[in-house]
Amino acid sequence: MAARQSVRAPGANTVSAAVKRLILGPQRPALTLDGAMQAAGLDDGPVAVVTAGWQEAEGDIDPIRKVLSQPVHDVGLYRLSRQLFHAEPELHNRYRQRQDRLAEQQALYRQRLRQHAIAVRRTLKASGTPAVIAPERRHAIAQLRALDRHHLRQVENAQLRFGSEFNVNSNRTLALATEKLHAELDNFPTVILAGGNLPVLLNRLRLFSLDDVLSRKHVVAWSAGAMLLGERIVLFHERMPQGLRDAEILDRGFGLLAKTIVMPDATNRLRTGNTLRMSAMSRRFSPATCCLLNNGSSVLFVNNVPVHAHDARYPATNGKLKAVAVS
Amino acid sequence: MTFSIESLLTVARDNPDALGSALAARSIPMVDGNKVTFVFHGQADAVYLRCWVSGLDTSQPLEPLEAGELWATTIDLPTGSRVEYKLEVVRNGQSELILDPLNPNQADDPFGANSVCQADGYERPEWTERHAETHQGSLHIVQVPTAAFGGTREVQVYLPSTFRDNRRYPLLIVHDGIDYLRYADFQNVLDNLIHRLEIPPMVVALTQSPDRLSEYAGNDRHAAFIAEDLLGFMQQAFPLDDRPDKRCLMGASFGGVASLHAAWRYPELFGNLLLQSGSFAFSDLGRHKRGPVFDPVVEFMNEFRADTVRPAERVFISCGMYESLIYENRSLVPHLQQKDVDVRFEEARDAHNWQNWRDRLRLGLSWLYPGPAWIVYE
Repeated sequence: MAARQSVRAPGANTVSAAVKRLILGPQRPALTLDGAMQAAGLDDGPVAVVTAGWQEAEGDIDPIRKVLSQPVHDVGLYRLSRQLFHAEPELHNRYRQRQDRLAEQQALYRQRLRQHAIAVRRTLKASGTPAVIAPERRHAIAQLRALDRHHLRQVENAQLRFGSEFNVNSNRTLALATEKLHAELDNFPTVILAGGNLPVLLNRLRLFSLDDVLSRKHVVAWSAGAMLLGERIVLFHERMPQGLRDAEILDRGFGLLAKTIVMPDATNRLRTGNTLRMSAMSRRFSPATCCLLNNGSSVLFVNNVPVHAHDARYPATNGKLKAVAVS
Repeated sequence: MTFSIESLLTVARDNPDALGSALAARSIPMVDGNKVTFVFHGQADAVYLRCWVSGLDTSQPLEPLEAGELWATTIDLPTGSRVEYKLEVVRNGQSELILDPLNPNQADDPFGANSVCQADGYERPEWTERHAETHQGSLHIVQVPTAAFGGTREVQVYLPSTFRDNRRYPLLIVHDGIDYLRYADFQNVLDNLIHRLEIPPMVVALTQSPDRLSEYAGNDRHAAFIAEDLLGFMQQAFPLDDRPDKRCLMGASFGGVASLHAAWRYPELFGNLLLQSGSFAFSDLGRHKRGPVFDPVVEFMNEFRADTVRPAERVFISCGMYESLIYENRSLVPHLQQKDVDVRFEEARDAHNWQNWRDRLRLGLSWLYPGPAWIVYE
């Protein structure tokens, strides 16, 4: 491995100039974390593991400890947030209110989204005079993208309002817990984010300002954890028993992977053989690339550039899947 | 004559002693595409196929094929169909309804059991079966004080395996709940769908009426029991999400009527209804012909259809195509839509029975209560 160069003030919390983000598909049925970390040169030095997305099962990391050769530390973020909410009922109350508001916002967006997404698919499969169809198709896609942008702004406004009231400057308990957590993570150049409940993981990381901390670390993440690292967080599942549902923007991601939207468990959750749906998805989220991952998939980004990919695909504009290109 | 019955006849002619083992080696009834052949082997004066399926004769004779020992009849049954039946065997002037001795596939119900014919394309959904990796919820018996009926009523409560006091859960109230457990594998269904994140963990109150034909037939006292006594008790005893869209009433047949009636009597209390093969008899003109037990049902349904009150925001309705009630259930859909209800209607090639209701539960429950699969990425 190349000699590491500091990107911050010297100390245990610094990482080499070559900042690595390793994203993986689901770790079931096969755990591929160890091999992927080894191949990425991330198999030395202690690692901190965030399993807040597992909620009550947080910390059940024996399978991870078993396969990794380096020391593994359980961050206990979910437990910490419960302690904080218990100690700060007002903060908890407002936090719930924000979640209710976000759920209301998401429900309204979903209702409008359905019609826009149908319009996009219909114009994509329309046959007839190209000169008539082309501008309608462009306009339908533009409207869908505009709705996504509008929703994202509304979500950000709600987040900002909460963040301006409750932050480390205004709440002493939160400030102390955050400070302690950040100091703890100083000992770990690499952080692992597991999958699980995506909003729970996202909200806990943000509550303790860990999104900022992660920007200075090597990060290994799978499923929900990996989805947070992209530009935008997109919820998707086209195989639910109650039928098709269109992908939804949930929030802005941490932006640690440039122009990337991560979509794990893609084969099980998406109709990847449906070129119409894949084409619509590609055009909707362009210029970002929808990175489709499955169990065994991995993509290694070094300084925001994908340098290695295994079994990772993306839908092209024509709806066909292509292998993720690496430099 | 189907290929299957021809091959049996060949055995009967060439080697009659081997007929028993030839029958045992076959899956009875014999399915050849959309032709299904029912077979009886034994001494009888006459044999009839008896099934209570709308579209087929209630009693259909099996023809004697060889020396009166082998009887058969073939019917057309579309792909994916499932039909419950019995055989009526007449000997010495005495008639007896029996389960098909050559068919091990049976369905239990509160009145006993029926043999089951599964046409080409039907498969029991695997999510109705017990799976070792699925965590089991728990069942608890509670005594619910009731002002509506007086005294107390016993109710079983299902709690999901991940139940925690500090969470808030949706509530599902199920009419004939114990029958759903016994005959529709309801606990397996709940355990599996929760485990697979297709529905959220929920608290389920399973009620069982001692006099369902009266209490479920548009009965105001029953509605008060559900909406006041039981709901109040459940809110006190369990950590429930108090929003109406997190509450659902569910039932089949007369239980469907009871669910719709309670929601209509207490509008905006229950956001969701799951109605299976509801006995929604009504009369647009003249008297109905379903017998006196339906009188209060028809009275309620006629009033409901004339009324503008919206019973719930979302209603899932399922019904078998081979039920006499399919007309009433289909009629309910546009009627609810006119009341601005979000309706999903699902038909199946099945009849009025518990396995039909079981097989529709995944779609109904996950449509009304979408699970966290949308937000959980393991």
